[in-house]
Amino acid sequence: MKYFEDIKAGDVAELAARHVSEADIIAFAVKFDPQVFHTDPEAAKQTAFGGLAASGWHTNALMISMLVERFKTESLAAIGSPGVETCRWLVPVRPGDTLTGRQEVLETWPSKSKPMGFVRSRTDLANQHGEVVMTMVGLGMIARRPEAAA
Amino acid sequence: MNDPVPPRAATGEPVYFEDFEVGQTRAFGAYAVTEAEVVAFGRQFDPQAFHIDPDAAADTVFGGLIASGWHTCGMMMRMVCDDGLPRTAVLASPGFDNLKWLRPVRPGDVLSVRSVVAEKIESKSKPDQGIIKIANTVLNQAGEAVMTITNIAFYRRRPATTVSG
Repeated sequence: MKYFEDIKAGDVAELAARHVSEADIIAFAVKFDPQVFHTDPEAAKQTAFGGLAASGWHTNALMISMLVERFKTESLAAIGSPGVETCRWLVPVRPGDTLTGRQEVLETWPSKSKPMGFVRSRTDLANQHGEVVMTMVGLGMIARRPEAAA
Repeated sequence: MNDPVPPRAATGEPVYFEDFEVGQTRAFGAYAVTEAEVVAFGRQFDPQAFHIDPDAAADTVFGGLIASGWHTCGMMMRMVCDDGLPRTAVLASPGFDNLKWLRPVRPGDVLSVRSVVAEKIESKSKPDQGIIKIANTVLNQAGEAVMTITNIAFYRRRPATTVSG
């Protein structure tokens, strides 16, 4: 099990890839973000996107799936997140894209009231052309190693 | 007061950048959170025990099943769309700031949104667009804030040629 004590600023994790299909983009958007540039390949051509693009929320959902896969690989004692400072969707995510990810730890500090610590990190997702499509700085909460928390 | 979406019935033209004023407030939405949807989203995107397994979730700090925070973002976006966003002159969003998950969202909750226009910025490089920042609070049925976020979006400005009698 990997605990808060095992994480330090500068740590970098490469995240497993996710492929994005047109059907994935439309299915997510029909449920959560029904705007034509996310749901209708034809109508999307007439919009600022010039064609179908994934909802930014879909990109974030793919990001968390990549991060959770990493948590499980590392057996990280992750216990959720209090939030995100900033997130930018820089380049549209298109049908057929394959996204890869990278997370870098920026700083860590222990909770004063609970047996856990906070990890502030930057997560970037890139497409198969090497373009960064999303960059985000957010917080995670990680349990402390039990004996150290006593 | 609920302004400025949806479009003004008299003209049918979309809500442009000019139609927003800082401080305008809207309250909308009634999204019923179901266990089935929480688990489905969790399994697809955020498969941590507290999002997918009611029994295992009972033993976590959350004391039971809770929605992924990214699912809450999706539910907020759906309410924003149902409130009329697609009928505005919105172009795209460059992202968001200051997202805070304040309280767990649980199956059985009914969520709504309170939005306040926080800032308007005229684009220097694109005279036909502007940036609008909207501070959204997602509330549960008890009126508790479960999430806050500042959404950012590009809107078209009203074309001079559409002004008519």
